[in-house]
Amino acid sequence: MTTREDVENMILRVGLGDRAAFSALYDATSAKLFGVCLRILNDRAEAEDALQDAFVRIWQKADSYAVNGYSPMTWLITLTRNLAIDKLRARKGGNVDIDEVHDLKDTGPTPEAAAVAASEKSRLDGCLNELPSDRADAVRGAYIEGYSYDELAARFDVPLNTMRTWLRRSLIKLKDCLS
Amino acid sequence: MTAADDHNDDIALAGEYALHLMDADARRAFEARLDAEPALRALVVEWNEQLAPLADNFTPQTPPPAVKARINAVLFPATPSRTWSLWRVLAGSGLAAVLAVGVLVMLPQDPAPTPFTPSLTAEIAAEDASLIVLASFAPETGVLRIDRQAGAANDGRVLELWLIAEGADAPVSLGVLPDETQTDIALPETLAQAISGGTLAISDEPLGGSPTGVPTGDVLALGAVVSL
Repeated sequence: MTTREDVENMILRVGLGDRAAFSALYDATSAKLFGVCLRILNDRAEAEDALQDAFVRIWQKADSYAVNGYSPMTWLITLTRNLAIDKLRARKGGNVDIDEVHDLKDTGPTPEAAAVAASEKSRLDGCLNELPSDRADAVRGAYIEGYSYDELAARFDVPLNTMRTWLRRSLIKLKDCLS
Repeated sequence: MTAADDHNDDIALAGEYALHLMDADARRAFEARLDAEPALRALVVEWNEQLAPLADNFTPQTPPPAVKARINAVLFPATPSRTWSLWRVLAGSGLAAVLAVGVLVMLPQDPAPTPFTPSLTAEIAAEDASLIVLASFAPETGVLRIDRQAGAANDGRVLELWLIAEGADAPVSLGVLPDETQTDIALPETLAQAISGGTLAISDEPLGGSPTGVPTGDVLALGAVVSL
């Protein structure tokens, strides 16, 4: 079982150019990060490319990890998720095909063994539940599916600017609840 | 606009940034602020940590092995070993030509009958153990016994053995290894004296061995000569 400390140590060693640590980090985390890419891109070949880009980036940026304040898995997942979303946006070229927009209800949470403390999870869930359900779904859709504002507006059938206002207000409320 | 409004704006912006909702322009502008504002950076980290439980929705799946190989190929393109690069430089200096004392003749013998009392040995091994050759040297007779325990020459290529004597400027060819896994090489006295403290290496060469007197192909394996 790889602990949080193990992953942290691997990243720190990768930051020093340790190839063996990089190999170990890949073995320990690539399945999770591939899961991120697959969920967001919904295409195996593209997900493999995104995973490759993510690990190249991890090798290049690991030396900044120690000072950035992230917990190890959050840093890895954030980096990978952002890359996968960039690929998704590039593929879609900014155009939203309504047929491609998944129904959020169909892609709801599929819990796995929690890597994050259960209390943090229930706190986030609790705070999301305090939002109107469609706004909570919008936040979840942005995180889990990598939806853009355009896609969210199309999915919830509201003008783009309305979606922006919704989401920003929701984020402020959410943060207030979480803090 | 009040300071509280500004703070709420930053909370929303940092959240949008963490969710990766910004378009490229907004992102660049926000990142310029991040560089200058530690408090804003901390806010983004906080958002990412607080949203992290949503990552439970990403179900782990083992990627195909080819992905790791591709990553390694991108980050760590196969480079000749440092020793090899040094050899290249030295080869250009002309010293190699002087020191390469001519290709030695392999003397295939039956290794078993003659008493063989080695006092020096070297395990000449590839990093990935794809080629392992054990070399033992008996100074009294000048016989270097070669025992190839793993690996073989590539199709249409040969393995060539080299000695890099301690402090020497260039490798000296000890000859091309035969197909047999075991063979004895009789070293002339000058080389017999140079082997102690040296390094043995095996390179990949065209049939007949290096045409130049210095290694021309990849150095496949290296091993230091040590006392038994």
